[in-house]
Amino acid sequence: MSTENMSQPPRFWYAVLRYGLGNQFHEEFIGDLEEMYEERLLAKGKRYARFMHGVDTLHLLFGFSKLNINRYRNNFMIKNSITVAWRHAMRQKQSTVLNVLGLALGITACLLIGLYVQHERSYDTFHEKADRIYRINQPLIWRDWDIQFASTGPNVAIALQQDIPEFEALTRLLDFPSLTVRIQPGNADYHLMKENEFHAADSNFFSVFTFPLLYGNPETALVEPYSLVLTEESAIGLFGKSQVLGRTLEFKDEDGSWQMYEVTGVAANVPENSHIQFNGLMSMSSFPMVKEQQEWKWIWTAFSTYALVREGADIDDLQRKIQAIPPKWAETTTQRIFNQTFEEYCAGKEWWLYMHPLPEIYLSEQPYNHRFGPTTNPMLVWIFSTIGGLILLLSCINFMNLFTAKASMRAKEVGVRKVLGSLRRALIGQFLVESFLYVLVSTLLSLLLAYLVLPAFNTLAGKELSLLQFFVLPTFWLLLLTFMLGLGLFAGSYPALYLSGFRPAETLKGKLRQGFRGKGLRNGLVVMQFTISIGLVICAVLVQKQLAYTSTFDMGFARENILQIHNIDEVSAHAEVLRDKWLAHPGVTQVGKSFSVPPNVWEGERYKLDDPEFPVTEINNLRSDREYLEVLELEFLAGRNFDGDPLKDRHKIILNESAVEALGWGTADTYMEDSPIGKYVIQAFDDEHELEVIGVVKDFNYVTSHIRIDPLMILHYENNWFWNYRNGPQFLSMRVDPDVLRTTGGLPKLLDSFERDIRDIDASVLFDFSFVDERFEQEFRQEYRMGQVLNLFTFMALVIACLGLFGLAAFSADQRMKEISIRKVLGARMGQLFFTFSGEFTKLILLAILLASPLAWWGMSRWLADFPYHTPIHWWIFVTVGLGSLALALSTVTYQAVTIALRNPIDTLKDE
Amino acid sequence: MNNKGLGEFEELVLLAVCILEGEAYGVSVKREIEQHTGRSILLGAVHTTLYRLQDKGLLKSEMGGNSGKRGDRRKRLFQPTDIGMKQLRASQEVRQAMWQRIPQMRTDSL
Repeated sequence: MSTENMSQPPRFWYAVLRYGLGNQFHEEFIGDLEEMYEERLLAKGKRYARFMHGVDTLHLLFGFSKLNINRYRNNFMIKNSITVAWRHAMRQKQSTVLNVLGLALGITACLLIGLYVQHERSYDTFHEKADRIYRINQPLIWRDWDIQFASTGPNVAIALQQDIPEFEALTRLLDFPSLTVRIQPGNADYHLMKENEFHAADSNFFSVFTFPLLYGNPETALVEPYSLVLTEESAIGLFGKSQVLGRTLEFKDEDGSWQMYEVTGVAANVPENSHIQFNGLMSMSSFPMVKEQQEWKWIWTAFSTYALVREGADIDDLQRKIQAIPPKWAETTTQRIFNQTFEEYCAGKEWWLYMHPLPEIYLSEQPYNHRFGPTTNPMLVWIFSTIGGLILLLSCINFMNLFTAKASMRAKEVGVRKVLGSLRRALIGQFLVESFLYVLVSTLLSLLLAYLVLPAFNTLAGKELSLLQFFVLPTFWLLLLTFMLGLGLFAGSYPALYLSGFRPAETLKGKLRQGFRGKGLRNGLVVMQFTISIGLVICAVLVQKQLAYTSTFDMGFARENILQIHNIDEVSAHAEVLRDKWLAHPGVTQVGKSFSVPPNVWEGERYKLDDPEFPVTEINNLRSDREYLEVLELEFLAGRNFDGDPLKDRHKIILNESAVEALGWGTADTYMEDSPIGKYVIQAFDDEHELEVIGVVKDFNYVTSHIRIDPLMILHYENNWFWNYRNGPQFLSMRVDPDVLRTTGGLPKLLDSFERDIRDIDASVLFDFSFVDERFEQEFRQEYRMGQVLNLFTFMALVIACLGLFGLAAFSADQRMKEISIRKVLGARMGQLFFTFSGEFTKLILLAILLASPLAWWGMSRWLADFPYHTPIHWWIFVTVGLGSLALALSTVTYQAVTIALRNPIDTLKDE
Repeated sequence: MNNKGLGEFEELVLLAVCILEGEAYGVSVKREIEQHTGRSILLGAVHTTLYRLQDKGLLKSEMGGNSGKRGDRRKRLFQPTDIGMKQLRASQEVRQAMWQRIPQMRTDSL
């Protein structure tokens, strides 16, 4: 019985075959198919047999319908429809091209945006346990406790592991700003390089994250101290090959000694869509200080803590549970470092912990930044999705508009067809086939277009998107097919149902030409199109203005032409010598030392005032000398700069405006009555030294213009009341004569001599330099790029809208040919004709401007409100954009208007 | 008689039909060709070719009797027509003549 059942091939295919070929061949084919099915069943099993059965059936079906068209029932009608569609398309080449091109452009734009959005959403999804991994965030305890901070102290992981059983594993990453590496120890001619993406990782890193190892054991690679896992790319970069297990590298320690690491693993290159980027990982056990010095462990916020949650754990419950961790564990730290209890330290604010789901990290608004790789502004993704949708909508409207307009001119054809006995069904079919054909051609064209422009788009957007990966996804094709069928049906159904319903006698008498033009609908659609595209243009202008504003607005210091030489701390004993030497260069006007440079001023400490009522306040620290403030050209609102004699002012401080305000000493206007100069700020840590204020500088942007300027305290670089975590100032910054930078070879020559100076002192010091404004520009690079992409798509939207208008104007010109000719005969002048014709469209565009302006204003004022510093929304933007689009629209119509006005009335009127 | 329009696959099918002597139908032809050439062929290709050859008048066919096998469905059995045989022979002769002209293959040059 069972074998009997087994031998039955699926019935479904017989029905297909019967339908496709009729009964004529049925018997012999099914006999053959069944015979082969049995044979295959015995030889290769059921699945193969069933699959091949389907293949064979389809093959027979196609083979025979191709062999003789008449055997396939619907083929004739479809072929006829296609022929008719082709003839119509050829008769009006201009409108056909406009129609196909407009739609293809729209679909292309939408495809590209879809690719981009899909890529942005794919971040970190490649980890096998992605749905169970969370990053632990905490408040930015150094500044604003309301801001989420992606880094924690090292002991957060230890506390969570010990107290909460729902965590399967916790793993930490520690980031190093930059490291100097050499690969040939002991050799005088060693190879120096700066490696930016080397982190320390816990030994279980590879069991939490899915970064496959090409060589080495993921379980043990990061266990031993001084183990190192390289990526394939960096292995090849350093050693010239990827199998480098057992090779050694040396990293330079802060004290100048070299520490040797052994390569214990080579990982596959990190995918681009990972928020953790690295070139190499060192074992956490190589850094004993992570385990020692327990008292530091909650404020050494340089670690990222990742938690792998056990399967089936209740996340909301867990989220509540972990709030008990900081009060219980951080107390030792606050007592030892700040002489405060945990409650005193928090001062009413809450030290919460937040579990940030891994796949959401890249696209989250907060934390704004983290140390290990890229994040993006989720707003951008949202904006692009919206624009993609709008452009597609625009081009679909366009398509429908032109298609219905053209169809309405075919009322006569419909009438004749009906008289000759055509069924209504056949007429509906005709229009639907035509609209499907247009959609199909446009879609195929847009696939090709998207494929062709993708490389250029990638360069513009700075991405590595690929279309090919989607071509293998059934979902992609399904979506595309649904779209084509949907649009084809939607655009085709209006003329199909409406036109085919008319009585032939009436349409032939010309009644339809007067009565029906679908004009109201078309005008409505045109207004909608232009509302969308004018709105988009206004938004794009404002976004550009905002980007330009944030990247160029007054930073509060002269940021041009400031050259910074790095790694000076490694030659700290000679810093003065280098300074004097470089100052003697003719192109250099001032040289100053500092521990950090904008936009990377991240250190901060806690301070208090003599007044016990006054709460402890976090203030950022910049440590520099007198000259550095001159290099930055900071403006003093009160008081003075440090004295030239280093020992005289080493314990004095300079504040910025915000710091003065935060300390409750008033704003710039009140300095006259109650000067902050001569007042004292007290360290809220260690020995609680008092620091005297000698100057107040105007606020300047020392981090990034993404966030508001925070209180800043400028310390003297030789102030020995602070923990010296480096051997001395890390940077020598100098103001360079712009003429030197402009001369060819001027900068390289300068840099060459600086490099030689450093090498003469210590050849193991890596020479590295940067310009302040470059650093700031990097901050805005992504946004700048996205601004460019936004421009491109806005432009496309405008082009699509104009294509549509052009087509409609042509249609309207055709319709009103007689009217215009009669007007001309009756003595109307050229200008009058022109205005009669274009006035119709002007009204539509004006209406669109009126609709678009408030919408755009509303949307943009909400968007801009999120920026601490934003560009004002001027009324003239709306006027300019409005007039511009009106001019563009009119010039689109003008061609038609002029053609029609110039035409000899005889030509159009003679046939009646 | 020229053999214009007799493609390679058509020739193979025609030969297979000749070999099978009255037992030629879709599956047996497919098997015969697969056995000789070693390549795998789709049934649909065999059927379309059989019918095309019939349309060209090189094959004729009739429905066979019930066999009790294959769900008791009848087969369409194909046979070469005289024209078919002639064409096959002609194509064989053309090839033979051309083979003879290849210098490396001539027996006297060995």
